[in-house]
Amino acid sequence: MKDLVCVQADDFSLADEYQRLRDINARVGAVVTFCGLVRDFESSAGEPESKKPVNYLTLQHYPGMTETLLDDIVMQAKARWELVAVTVIHRIGTLAPNDQIVFVGVASEHRKEAFDAAQFLMDYLKTKATFWKKLTAEGGEQWLDAKSSDSDAAAKWGEDSHD
Amino acid sequence: MINLFFFGCLGDLAKDAPTCIANLEPDATPQGIRQMMKADHPELFKALSEPQVLVSVNKMIVKWDQPLFEGDELAFLPPVTGG
Repeated sequence: MKDLVCVQADDFSLADEYQRLRDINARVGAVVTFCGLVRDFESSAGEPESKKPVNYLTLQHYPGMTETLLDDIVMQAKARWELVAVTVIHRIGTLAPNDQIVFVGVASEHRKEAFDAAQFLMDYLKTKATFWKKLTAEGGEQWLDAKSSDSDAAAKWGEDSHD
Repeated sequence: MINLFFFGCLGDLAKDAPTCIANLEPDATPQGIRQMMKADHPELFKALSEPQVLVSVNKMIVKWDQPLFEGDELAFLPPVTGG
């Protein structure tokens, strides 16, 4: 199986994941990778100017459903673009600022497909995959609100046939 | 019996809420289960009634009037915030 979807507590290595995509076959002419990191601040939904400090984030997900949704998002990307392979890794549990939280990697013959598919995968993952972030700062805890900028980003790809 | 799951912020509000429904009515729906929370868990009921909350049965997103059957796994999902 060339594609890889993982929900895991462990960290991942960007170098290893890049190498896996590079090594799949010699058709691969482009590898685009994206790493999301935990920021040490969070902007409130609807108040981009107000920044709250973040001591750490706790990532919850719905085991079983998340993997199915991520598989589906990968399938949708592969239906839209000609891709050689896709990797999606999302971490769960407690993460500190600067920790890696998400990895998306796309291998294709040409760069445009890889760039577009990586962006699509991130936009869809953020609005469709069953993850929830809880922020801890200064002794308090708060579940993060979804951001309309994320749903706007996903909407620009148009509705998919699976919804 | 069906099992209930509350994710994200809904989990905090559902700490004292039932985690399963032992005797399922024949015409039970997610909407009906939500309504059952109104009397004893008004804050949870209010949060579940927000239009952006989705409901899943057996890990598939469904409509609120989807019929429920013995053994189903019902989950209430606030807007996701991964990535």
